[in-house]
Amino acid sequence: MTAPRSVYVYGVVRASHAVPPGRAGVGERPAPLRTLPAGALAAVISDAPDRLRAKRRDLLAHQDLALALAADGPVLPMRFGMVAPDEESVRRQLLSSQQECLVALERVDGRVEMNLKALPTETGLDALVREDPQVSRLRTAARRAPGYEASVRLGEAVARGLERRASAAAAVVLAELSAVADAEVHGPRVEGCVLNVSFLLDRREQRRFRGVVERFAAGHRDRVELRLTGPLPCYSFAEGRV
Amino acid sequence: MPTGTYTEEVVCVQRTGTLYDVLELILDRGMVIDVFVRVSLVGIEILKIDARIVVASVDTYLRFAEACNRLDLEFDRSKTVPELLGGIAGGGGGPAGRMATGLGKKKAKKAVGGLGEKVKKAVGADGDEEEEEGEEGEEAEAERESRPRRRTAATAARSRRSASPSEGS
Repeated sequence: MTAPRSVYVYGVVRASHAVPPGRAGVGERPAPLRTLPAGALAAVISDAPDRLRAKRRDLLAHQDLALALAADGPVLPMRFGMVAPDEESVRRQLLSSQQECLVALERVDGRVEMNLKALPTETGLDALVREDPQVSRLRTAARRAPGYEASVRLGEAVARGLERRASAAAAVVLAELSAVADAEVHGPRVEGCVLNVSFLLDRREQRRFRGVVERFAAGHRDRVELRLTGPLPCYSFAEGRV
Repeated sequence: MPTGTYTEEVVCVQRTGTLYDVLELILDRGMVIDVFVRVSLVGIEILKIDARIVVASVDTYLRFAEACNRLDLEFDRSKTVPELLGGIAGGGGGPAGRMATGLGKKKAKKAVGGLGEKVKKAVGADGDEEEEEGEEGEEAEAERESRPRRRTAATAARSRRSASPSEGS
């Protein structure tokens, strides 16, 4: 008797959705991809690799497949690394949460996720020194009595000041973008970023959305650095726990 | 198509295949099914390496302090941190200037080293899988290279050349 083979789950799609040809899954020697139908839904799966790590190659395989699938219809991308003990358990789960999944698929249909990160920028350093009384005071102190302590204190105040400037600018661009997007979700805190937010938007709005980001970035480059990534699979809008 | 879909034309940003910028989404967002087993992943341990960040922060503070002290508000209104740092060994396009560029780069790399390591861990290039070490090691390295500080160092090198006409040796 052989134990049932555990499966890696990439995402959930509508039952009619086929896996695009020429795609590979995760693992050093990726197993073939297939769909596992369950009612009106299907899971996109492959046999789970023996060992799986969050390697660059595997993360990309996971993501690229979700993106390729999204070209033909809505996808609920799984979080990376979801492995089920066997096909049967996947099927049971899908059937028991069919309604929620269909609603979520409807929500992401024809839409993409765009992620925006905002970071402090160093180009506004002299403006900060001029405008921030604390920084300017600490700078004078550090010049008068140089040393490690004074430097750390000054540098820390500078880092905080640059962060404050970036946060204020990020709040403005966030409000502008919210008007273009259908929904937004704040992402996990990321070291070094003052803002990490994902937007759900109509595929056709991508150009307009990007335009807003670029214009804002150009006009505020001495305050904030913006990094826009996407279109992405709708990770942040498929987050239902089923 | 897929890996090429990242936006690269956003102003102020130069990136190549930036998995780094969405790592936290792939690992911490997306659908979860409760009965599923989440395989044990080295990458998920990413948060445990946060201690490194503290070290990287202090490096950054010191860098800022240094740059601030070199800032001459009366005569120069256009310098950025890396430019100022680059000036340590004397600006200009001569050997000293080139050395300064190298120095700036090294410092910038060091400041983001913590993050680079973090990524390296996350993508699993930590050496206990020798059969893939070559390829993965390079990729992780490339990822680290694409960190933004490198851009600032490069910008510094460029603008210093044009910014200090008199000191060139």
